[in-house]
Amino acid sequence: MIRVTNLVKQHGQTPILNGATLEVQKGQVAALVGPSGSGKSTLLRCVNGLEAFQEGEIAVGDALKLTGGSAPPKAALLALRRTVGMVFQQFNLFPHMTALKNVMSGPVYALGKPEAEAEATAKGLLARVGLADKHDAKPAQLSGGQQQRVAIARALAVNPAAILFDEPTSALDPKMSAEVMRVIDDLADDAALQVAMVIVTHDLAAVRRIADVVHVLGGGKVTFSGPPDEAFAPNGPAADLL
Amino acid sequence: MNRRWVLAALVLAFAAPASARDEKPLLRWGGDKNGGAPYIFEAADGKLTGFEVEFAEYIARELGRTPRFVQNQWDNLPDLLKRGDIDVVLNGYEFTKERHDDTPSTVPYYVYSLRLIARQSEPDIFSWADLGRQNEPKRVGVLRGSASQRYLEGRFGNKVRIEGSETVTEMLDLVQAGQVDLTVQDAPAAAYYVTPERYPGLKVIDEPAGYGYYVLLTRPDDAELREKLNAAIRKAVSSGWLKQLYQKYGLWNPAQQRLSYLAGQPWPDAAAEFATDDAGYAPPDPPKLSGILDKLLTAAAYTILLAVASFPIAMVIGLVVAVGRVYGPWPVRALFTIYVEVLRGTPLLLQLFVIFYLPSQLSKIEGWEWMSALALNKWAAAIIGLALNYSANEAENYRAGLMAVPKGQMEAALALGFTKWAALRYVILPQAFRIVIPPVTNDFIALFKDTAVCSTVMIVELTGLYYAYKVYPNLVLELALAVGLLYLLMSYPTAVLARWFERRLALTKEGGRA
Repeated sequence: MIRVTNLVKQHGQTPILNGATLEVQKGQVAALVGPSGSGKSTLLRCVNGLEAFQEGEIAVGDALKLTGGSAPPKAALLALRRTVGMVFQQFNLFPHMTALKNVMSGPVYALGKPEAEAEATAKGLLARVGLADKHDAKPAQLSGGQQQRVAIARALAVNPAAILFDEPTSALDPKMSAEVMRVIDDLADDAALQVAMVIVTHDLAAVRRIADVVHVLGGGKVTFSGPPDEAFAPNGPAADLL
Repeated sequence: MNRRWVLAALVLAFAAPASARDEKPLLRWGGDKNGGAPYIFEAADGKLTGFEVEFAEYIARELGRTPRFVQNQWDNLPDLLKRGDIDVVLNGYEFTKERHDDTPSTVPYYVYSLRLIARQSEPDIFSWADLGRQNEPKRVGVLRGSASQRYLEGRFGNKVRIEGSETVTEMLDLVQAGQVDLTVQDAPAAAYYVTPERYPGLKVIDEPAGYGYYVLLTRPDDAELREKLNAAIRKAVSSGWLKQLYQKYGLWNPAQQRLSYLAGQPWPDAAAEFATDDAGYAPPDPPKLSGILDKLLTAAAYTILLAVASFPIAMVIGLVVAVGRVYGPWPVRALFTIYVEVLRGTPLLLQLFVIFYLPSQLSKIEGWEWMSALALNKWAAAIIGLALNYSANEAENYRAGLMAVPKGQMEAALALGFTKWAALRYVILPQAFRIVIPPVTNDFIALFKDTAVCSTVMIVELTGLYYAYKVYPNLVLELALAVGLLYLLMSYPTAVLARWFERRLALTKEGGRA
């Protein structure tokens, strides 16, 4: 589904990623872990085309491809983003729209779907994240946990093949964080939902619970890819993160 | 020995200032060289010349004083005199009863008349009387606040549309370019400028009309100076010096013989009878506020029209420029940055002047005749000028608003598959718009007041009306208050409306921001 090959990314002279390679299968839940500053978020942002990279390649599905060192064509970028959704640490809900309109915004403004159809989908998704009673609330009237759940519903609304979670619970207190993780758990457990998920998080307990695969990032490379049990085993590659 | 040298040096050091103190006292005379030839103007070598300059030198000589010219805008000269910055106003000021009560005049030094000037091709007007017979009132230009303005108002009322400018040449250019139909100027200016060499496209129509006197203005408490000035003027008349001066400048005519008669009469008692001996014309009574109420309301409507017409244009241009500067490729960014800096860095008055007057002035240069196609009518020029000037401010407001929207908003929209334009349209701009309501409202209110500069392109909006009527001392205070009140009545409701709008669009019920 997503294949990252030898990704090289520098901020000016500072290397961030130095030949990172990983693969995420269809419907798989992958966790990206590593110490702070190891480039986890950067890697995610490269996959979604929010950041350019110097070398390597990112392929999504069979048709979509980003190549390092060149600006991707606009059409390719747009197609990529409509395939790969993203959930941000700071939620980034649109503050001037209600929760319902936020969830409808992708289908209506990006995909050009009719309002009625988008609204039905959006109501379903809000119910799914437990916010059926918050249709008309503006983001400022919602708690952080509720906002992040709306953001997840919004990402799902465009029916993506993959969703990237960029530290979705870091800005939340433990209670709200658990509330959001329950939603992600629920999505991960849903066998009918064939969405690949890549999650960058420091919530390693959650990773052990939901991830199919753990990728450990260090020194700008993916140093390990394997099941959580192996990653977090004593003396395992991610043991020192615990 | 040593001490004596020091003493000598000290004496020498103080000797120079002492001799300066012995110099003749100054006679500070105020005028406006922008009014132009043949009154006061700069010759090719930059030296000040003109018949009034020579006359001022003559008078100063007679009074045993050194003449010093003080430049100031023409219609503000009496204010400068009353403030004490000058001793006398000497610049084609006409005798009127009201003005005499405010700033007492000397005996006259010139008998002026008014001349009607038109394009050679003028199809309808062949005499003064024709002006009153038009179905569609002609646009007739005057110097703001001059005798020409009062003459036209008194004789033709609403049958002509009066347009005011600040200098003679400005107005002659406008007539030549067809932006104004005719103009009424004092005979000396008409004689000097309307010649085949200077303005080949213009001609003088009919006989002179609206006779009156040029006088010097003084402060009420300066009776002694006034007497000395009167004596000097009488001497200039009776000795024939003044006649020679006028002959030199081509200004002598039989009407000037009246100066000799007046020189022997008590002043200003002799003045009134002469001013009325022009057929069909009696000088109008000084206007009252109630009498110009319709003009005041029209002027207020013009102010509103100018602001309301230009601001939306400024907002649209500003929006395009701001979006270009924040999200555009570098050539667009560079171009729009120059646009903003040039418009923001130069005065509105200058921009308006360039838009309105420059094309018709440039079109006089050989090979540049095509520029006359760019000569806009005054409304278009004013609205475009205001809109362009304010578009730079609005662009900066919107740019600040766009920058204030968190970066994550654009990223979230892009991540959902929005195009950049859709993200701007549905996510960024609606938020930026809320942020900029206060500064944009502020600019709109500022624009209401800045419409005042449109009086330079002959639109009589509120400030222009004030300028046109402040020559009447009986009216000036009421008028200033009325104009100020009208401005306030426009800006205050705007501010209230904006606050309401702001509250309505606030992102939370408390009016705070998310």
